[in-house]
Amino acid sequence: MKVRNKLLLVVLAALLAVSVVATGCKAKPGNGGEEITATETTVVRIGVGAPLTQGAVAIGQGLKRGAQLAVEDENASSQAEKLGIKFELVDGDDQGDPQTGTNVANMFASDTSLVGVMGHFNSGVSIPASKVYNENNILMISPGSTNPELTKQGLKNVFRVCATDDVQGPAGAESAFNKFGYKKAVVVDDSTPYGEGLAAEFAKKFEELGGQILFKEKTSDKDTDFNALVTKITSQKPDMIFYGGMYNAGALLAKQATDAGFTGPTMGGDGISYTDWITLQGGKTAEGDLSTSVGLPVSELPKAAEFQSKYAEKFPSEEIGNFDAYGYDATYVIINAVYKVAEDLGVKELTSPAGRDALIEAVKATDLSGVTGKLGFDEKGDTSNQAITTYQVENGEWVPKVIPGKD
Amino acid sequence: MSFSVIIQQLINGVTLGGMYALIALGYTLVYGILLMINFAHSEMFMTGAYVGLGVLLLLTDKGVIAKVSKAMPFLSFLEASRTFFTSSAFGLIVLFLIVFLVAMTATGLLGMFIERVAYRPLRNAPRLAPLISAIGVSIFLQNAALLWIDSRAIPYPAVFPIKKLFSIGGANVNSLQALIISTSIILLLILDTFVSRTKVGKAMRATSQDSEAAGLMGIDINYVIAIAFFIGPAFGAVAGIFSGMYYGTVIFSMGFIPGMKAFTAAVLGGIGNLRGAMLGGFLLGIVESLGAGFLSTGYKDVIAFGILILVLIFRPGGLLGESVVEKV
Repeated sequence: MKVRNKLLLVVLAALLAVSVVATGCKAKPGNGGEEITATETTVVRIGVGAPLTQGAVAIGQGLKRGAQLAVEDENASSQAEKLGIKFELVDGDDQGDPQTGTNVANMFASDTSLVGVMGHFNSGVSIPASKVYNENNILMISPGSTNPELTKQGLKNVFRVCATDDVQGPAGAESAFNKFGYKKAVVVDDSTPYGEGLAAEFAKKFEELGGQILFKEKTSDKDTDFNALVTKITSQKPDMIFYGGMYNAGALLAKQATDAGFTGPTMGGDGISYTDWITLQGGKTAEGDLSTSVGLPVSELPKAAEFQSKYAEKFPSEEIGNFDAYGYDATYVIINAVYKVAEDLGVKELTSPAGRDALIEAVKATDLSGVTGKLGFDEKGDTSNQAITTYQVENGEWVPKVIPGKD
Repeated sequence: MSFSVIIQQLINGVTLGGMYALIALGYTLVYGILLMINFAHSEMFMTGAYVGLGVLLLLTDKGVIAKVSKAMPFLSFLEASRTFFTSSAFGLIVLFLIVFLVAMTATGLLGMFIERVAYRPLRNAPRLAPLISAIGVSIFLQNAALLWIDSRAIPYPAVFPIKKLFSIGGANVNSLQALIISTSIILLLILDTFVSRTKVGKAMRATSQDSEAAGLMGIDINYVIAIAFFIGPAFGAVAGIFSGMYYGTVIFSMGFIPGMKAFTAAVLGGIGNLRGAMLGGFLLGIVESLGAGFLSTGYKDVIAFGILILVLIFRPGGLLGESVVEKV
């Protein structure tokens, strides 16, 4: 026992020594001095609510990178300097899970220096979280929740910068039926509000156009084995599979379908329109798969080139995902509202009840030009930019195939 | 529903069941000897998949080999061995033997290590203590994989060619399904023989009947327990690699659901009984596939667990379990 105690002591001492050295190293360079400037700066915090460790992590981390760029750009702007504001992001990892998302929302709500939330991503998370924000009168701008229900709740603090599924689903059906000529489809969803909503909207329009839905099936967003379903699908010989859900489970379905000899494409919405959809299938089996996504392709947007170059500079090892620019724009909208309120009422009032009301009013009146196009909201809080692009996998990349206004 | 579809669903089910059976063995082995449910076992499945992935990448991925041999020049032979592994069928067999052996050994050793640090000190503690410890280990391992490896799903390299091999009654069996089904059956037979025919197997059976008496007869109980904690995770690792190859991805949280299902399979077959775990695994896989195929994917778990409840109502010890549960 005694020997053990001594050993423990040695280990502890060693750990202590290492930690002293480590912190000592960090403290030396003169970074600490920047806080003490002539005028007092007010730290304004913006919450990032996104799946960061579980769920659609590729998208969540991309959203966060978009928000980081926006904050960095604005912290360097003259307006922030003039008002004495420094923006900071607070991570809220909702894990794509409604319960965790509600906890994150409560955490954000208890942070008194927080002016608004850029989030959440999954509609299933955004809807319950939006209620928490509403009770606390906190501004919420979702970068990617596309389920129509989110803004139908009539909550005045809730906005989104992406188009909705009642636009996206039908647009997907039109592309699949008219442009690609698929007549028979099987519709699968992942039993989340996002997946169900999108799949239902797709199916409705597909049948309206004269297509045939062979059957509809519900799966779970945590499923990995789809072989039984794939056997059922291939036995009915559809032209295509429509998957309402996210890339992580959907890619498994698409791979298993191709492995079982299904030659048609799998189609989905913005939740699969990601590079991970292709890599998770091991590349080849994703060829020909289709997806719709909100907004115009990056190549069609005037401000996007600048965004791309900044992104590449700041995150050289990361690829830009479809939603990263939405993360940027949602944050940009919040920041601009902060400027307006800070000018009208003063920086101190930003987080007071009157300030929070003013922030919401300021967002309502947004009229900006963002990376994803024109930024503005209708009376429900939905974006006025409702363009949907259809993409197809070609040589291991998503290539825009149906671009609104360009056909 | 045509005949060929039923056969196809059975093949899907047996493949899935083979994986469940391999995992279920780990639960049942440990329970049989220690009367403890090793909730960290699902993470053995995950660890095996990750170790297998690492070895596969190291031996076959151009980018990884280039990086490794740059940092450690003495490993530059990997580039030459890569062509051997990927160019011929023989190379492929050698490759997979290496991958499986390394993953099984590493995961098995991890299992023994966990037993040594997390369960052995609690062996005489109240029943709940090792159970909580097991849950703790499970959470620890999951988060370790999340933080140290990646929070995202990682694609499994498609080194093993998936081809249609043959058809039975209009249903196709591909090369990977054939590999999974045959390997799991062979491994199960080997284990069954090991436990029923060898001396160590006899010691294991003796320990599971009455560990104290077995100890008095000169059986080294710690050794027997360590063996059980090696075999279970090693078999779980095989299932993990199969899962990675079959579904194409691995993720840190991949162990949870298969682990739960395999535990269910072990209970269904009669926990503590090896053949029961095998039977339970295959049965659960088949029921799930048929349920998903003929009713709805959303109902597959409802059906599987419904059957479990029914079995437990009429045979509380499980299908092959002994009805005498009381140990005095």
